[in-house]
Amino acid sequence: MTVQVTPTVEWLTQCYDHEGSHEHVSLYLLRAPEGTVLVDSGSFYHREAITEAVDEATDGAGPDALVLSHSDYPHAANVSPLGGDTEDVELVASSASPAQQGLPDARKCDIGGTMTVQGREFSFIDPPLADRSHTTWIYEHGDGVLFTADGFGNYHDPGQCDYLSGDFPDVTPAERVYEYHRDNLVWLRYVAPEKVERTLDDIFAEYNVAAVAPIHGNPIEADDLDTYRERLRDAMARIAAEHTVA
Amino acid sequence: MPREIAPGIHWIYEAGPDRTESWDLADRNPEWYEAGREAYVPQCAYLIDGSDETLLFDTLSPASTDHILAAIDDLVGDRGLDYLVVSHPDVPHAGNALAILEEHPETTLVAPGYGNDHELYQLDDGIHVTEGDEIDLGERVVEFHEATFLDAPVSVWMTERETETLFPVDWMGFIHLDDEKLAFVDELAGEFDASRLVEFHGRVLFWYQYIDVEKTNAEIDNLVEKFDPEILAPAHGLVIREDATDYMELMKNVTRTIDDQGRIGTLG
Repeated sequence: MTVQVTPTVEWLTQCYDHEGSHEHVSLYLLRAPEGTVLVDSGSFYHREAITEAVDEATDGAGPDALVLSHSDYPHAANVSPLGGDTEDVELVASSASPAQQGLPDARKCDIGGTMTVQGREFSFIDPPLADRSHTTWIYEHGDGVLFTADGFGNYHDPGQCDYLSGDFPDVTPAERVYEYHRDNLVWLRYVAPEKVERTLDDIFAEYNVAAVAPIHGNPIEADDLDTYRERLRDAMARIAAEHTVA
Repeated sequence: MPREIAPGIHWIYEAGPDRTESWDLADRNPEWYEAGREAYVPQCAYLIDGSDETLLFDTLSPASTDHILAAIDDLVGDRGLDYLVVSHPDVPHAGNALAILEEHPETTLVAPGYGNDHELYQLDDGIHVTEGDEIDLGERVVEFHEATFLDAPVSVWMTERETETLFPVDWMGFIHLDDEKLAFVDELAGEFDASRLVEFHGRVLFWYQYIDVEKTNAEIDNLVEKFDPEILAPAHGLVIREDATDYMELMKNVTRTIDDQGRIGTLG
């Protein structure tokens, strides 16, 4: 299904079922001044639904550009089906070695740099929360959406698949934020959470974020960001505390 | 050409791109670097021949599909490949899994039993292994372990019992110069410069910049005690076959250095 997040950013949501609990495996479509831009391409698992959704959203034209957060399979599995290996679609990726990442030739974005794609300016941010080394967070300077790849995620219940953060009774549930990060960013066991927090503070101070758009969670609206960050902080502290080293 | 690192264990190497420019080595000129040289962070796979059965640990990247298929043919010939272990479903480690399984329909896929989204990686079929699971290959026995330092949740480490080899996957990777390809660390000229480990872990294990140093170093002590390996066979570095635990101990200095310096840079 497709959910409007901000005036020019749409969330193409797909879910993976963990025995009754859902995890999003999403992508986003951005309507830039000169064309449509996809952020990530989703998993092969949802290939048919994703290609249909993109086709519908673009009136059959397909995307004009595809910007990848990283090459991990749930994010990059549909690059070819969505035309990312053709001259019709501009592919943007952070890796300096696309062949090793199984990607077609891509326009390289520099983590820490900016780039204009289809008339929209994007900044590429070194992410504090990720599960692959060449991951980039992506900030689009139009509506102010921060695409956070594997960070800022959550599990959700069936029936909450198209919720934005404000649709939950009390914002994205704390326990679901914790469970997701515990299961997917396992290395959080070894961190000092305050160090991650400092980097997050720097990012949110630098960028005027209107919404956070994770691939594996419900998008977080600006009014709910403080609450979500508080829950994320607690989750990181809990994950670190729960892993003791003998 | 693969290199045998111990009887029955073969190192299959992929150089990847030259990192000189992207890691700004010429300008920064670290002590281990030599001006004008190329430098690599390799992708490594390992084939274990147990005489009765054979096992491949990781697949190299999609840039080296022909290379890994040729290496498998050279090493196993008509005997076939019995097991393919994917350490984690990161493309450079697992990107040739389908090609290998198509070429070798006799092969059983072995994947980490950790994590909860195997279907998203086409790892739901095959054997799932966790801490303590073993595969007896005849004269070699591999055992699987929960990956301690990792990025992807679907991850596993491996040991080989007879040779006391530890395969720590993404941990203990480091950069090397062009003429050091497929060299053992004890064959390198001069003393090993630990800043090579810092370069790798400060970029690739990106979360190292946030670690609790005391906790992480205590975990390293546990790893030394638990595994006490004779050989270290990382996915992104040269093989260490002498004083392996000394290099593991060096990693405690690496954590302290990265804690002081912060992230060295991105992978590029």
